[in-house]
Amino acid sequence: MMKRFLIALVVLMLAGPVVAQSGPLRLTITDGVIEPLPFAVPSFEPENAEAAQVAADITRLVALDLSGTGLFREIPASAFISAHSSFAQTVAYPDWRAINAQAMISGAVTVSGNQLIVKFRLYDVFSGTEMGGGLQFAGTVDGWRRMAHKVADAAYRRITGEGGYFDSRIVFVSESGPKDNRQKRLAIMDFDGANMQFLTDSSALVLAPRFSPTGDRVLYTSFASGSPRINVLDVTSVGTRQLQTADGEMAFSPRFSRDGTQVIYSLANGGNTDIYRGDIASGASTRLTSAPSIETAPSLSPDGSQIVFESDRSGTQQMYIMSANGGDARRISFGDGRYATPVWSPRGDLIAFTKQNAGRFHIGVMRTDGSEERLLTSSFLDEGPTWSPNGRVIMFMRETQGAGGTSSLYSVDVSGRNLKPVPLPNGASDPSWGPLQP
Amino acid sequence: MRSAGTYISGIGHVVLIGWLISGWGFSSEPLPFEVAEVSVVSSEEFAAMVAATTPQPDAANPTAPAQPQIEDAPVPIEPETAPQVVPTPEPAVQPDADTPPPEAPEPPAPQSDVADVAPEPPKPPAVEAAPDVIESPRPQPRPAPRVAPVAVAPPAPEADVADIVRDAVVPDDSAAAEVVEPAQTPTAPEEAATEIVIEDATPSGAVTTSARPKTRPNRPAPAPPSETTSASDDAAVAAALAAALAATAPDLPAGPPMTGSETEGFRLAIGECWVVDTGGRSANVKVTVAFSLDRSGKVAGDVRQVTAEGGEQAAVDTAFRAARTAILRCGASGYDLPADKYDQWREVEITFDPSGMRLR
Repeated sequence: MMKRFLIALVVLMLAGPVVAQSGPLRLTITDGVIEPLPFAVPSFEPENAEAAQVAADITRLVALDLSGTGLFREIPASAFISAHSSFAQTVAYPDWRAINAQAMISGAVTVSGNQLIVKFRLYDVFSGTEMGGGLQFAGTVDGWRRMAHKVADAAYRRITGEGGYFDSRIVFVSESGPKDNRQKRLAIMDFDGANMQFLTDSSALVLAPRFSPTGDRVLYTSFASGSPRINVLDVTSVGTRQLQTADGEMAFSPRFSRDGTQVIYSLANGGNTDIYRGDIASGASTRLTSAPSIETAPSLSPDGSQIVFESDRSGTQQMYIMSANGGDARRISFGDGRYATPVWSPRGDLIAFTKQNAGRFHIGVMRTDGSEERLLTSSFLDEGPTWSPNGRVIMFMRETQGAGGTSSLYSVDVSGRNLKPVPLPNGASDPSWGPLQP
Repeated sequence: MRSAGTYISGIGHVVLIGWLISGWGFSSEPLPFEVAEVSVVSSEEFAAMVAATTPQPDAANPTAPAQPQIEDAPVPIEPETAPQVVPTPEPAVQPDADTPPPEAPEPPAPQSDVADVAPEPPKPPAVEAAPDVIESPRPQPRPAPRVAPVAVAPPAPEADVADIVRDAVVPDDSAAAEVVEPAQTPTAPEEAATEIVIEDATPSGAVTTSARPKTRPNRPAPAPPSETTSASDDAAVAAALAAALAATAPDLPAGPPMTGSETEGFRLAIGECWVVDTGGRSANVKVTVAFSLDRSGKVAGDVRQVTAEGGEQAAVDTAFRAARTAILRCGASGYDLPADKYDQWREVEITFDPSGMRLR
């Protein structure tokens, strides 16, 4: 018996390698590299003389948008072998492969009076094919930055398979003056800090602006009446109106519902703070929590069915999730330290938060069940995360230490890479990232 | 007087020593290991680039931001792309300043109370008391814009970043006058780290706890031998032999099989060009692709997608494109494979599995 087993074993050992290599050679690769994808953007072709400058500007901004994500690396024009000077020109793929460009963007610009037309094509260099069809955008010369952002968004979407975030705006609190007498005004800017404009004056303290899902309105907390009240601001007309609350009540930390018709917010009354949902048109409100502890900073899930919020019901600030209609809440944060300002990702899979632990502040993310917590930043004071429309980037406020400390906005990729400041002339805090513009 | 046992012992020792000297059966290949990656990118570079685009807000008073109108449409020479006309957003109705906002009614009682006590955290599985482990600090990796399995030192300031490393070549004064070497800029691989470094967080790969090994269970009493067991063993052996021999029959490539180091070298060569976006949805997709190679090791024809699992179609497309680019990019000049084993690697099927690199 044993002898037969040994013979069978020997035969199988001899046959094994042969069996394993029958058919195609099969391999599994589990280790890749993490590096920016090289791309080339030859200068967009100006199709008339008036378009020369704006064509150059748009080319630069498209390249800047893509390389600013940290996912792409622009190959300088000095390395180009092939001069792709015409939009209709056939792409010389071997020349672009030789400089290791994996994607190439070709474009053309036409200016007629104040009318601006931008068209572009995107090429996958190594497969020698065009990615998607050509696209054309028509607008005004004044809006050339948005045209460039549109081109960059389309290229980003085709390469990564996910939506972009370049043609989006951010509302925030602009700060000036010393810490003990700081002037705060609502302001709005493009995602990259350009086109900043004020939405309110500095006569009253303002806090926590939040964009509506369509980007046409902003909710914010104003102290114009002496106590915190929630205002709705129309971005187009800059007109505001106050949501009604009873005397003695303090309303703050508002966010729009996903359809933009309701607002969830915190209401402090008689020393207790709970979360409410109110109808913007009728003013009717519903109380969602009733614990004697402080419940605040509610944020809705993308499908609107759940709310994540912070509460100190366990003795320290932690994050909880409950139904959008209220009810039992389950705690999701169990790490060391305190968790605050939770914000649900537009993708629905992650929750960004502020964490304070061991004298440091962090911006972090975790799964909606509380697992896989990752801290993305660490500093003296990091706070108030907000998600980009595609759920890929988080913007937040960072304040430096000391009496002369200033606050500014930073952004970081959800992977923890590409941490960088948003260039602004003044201090800034409380960012809220709006949707992609139509 | 030597006994038979002495002779047997002597022969046994000689065989053992000879085996150890010849080293048969021992592999000198080092054990494979994996390295976790982390890195951080400095923000100063971006700040310098974007500084030029920063506006200088001059509005002392708030004004409504301009809403440029943009409509996107297909390039005229591509009639298959449908025009997408985006309507200009209508301004929201401005509430009358004289009309007071509607009063909010008293908040009704909550529909249901929120539990005052947080649910108990999930209890970890019962583990025997772990011994105290002293955490050993790990050297802080240097931040670099590229993360790769092998760390690369920063290139020299005068060097260009390139895949091929070459030293600087300068004209040699001592050489014959008629041969003049042109000056050549040195190149070096791009700086790379093996991990993503996040600000001041000190990563530590040290194991903090480890479970005590479980005690070996008592050996069960051996079952008494029976005739039926012997018969089933014979049948199993015969079936296994038949299956093994049958599998070798049809599409067996000719030539000697690839060695482990040859396939590992091929695998690493492609992995070097496989760029994984760990924060993207394509990092959830495992894709298998197939392609053919000619005798020079170059890809012949297209890279085909065989299977994909773990994501939406857009993520699958992105994952496939990354795999195809890796194969084409690193095989542009032909893969270094043994020519006498061409039948073994003429057809290749590779599974790209990023699950180990996914963010956690």
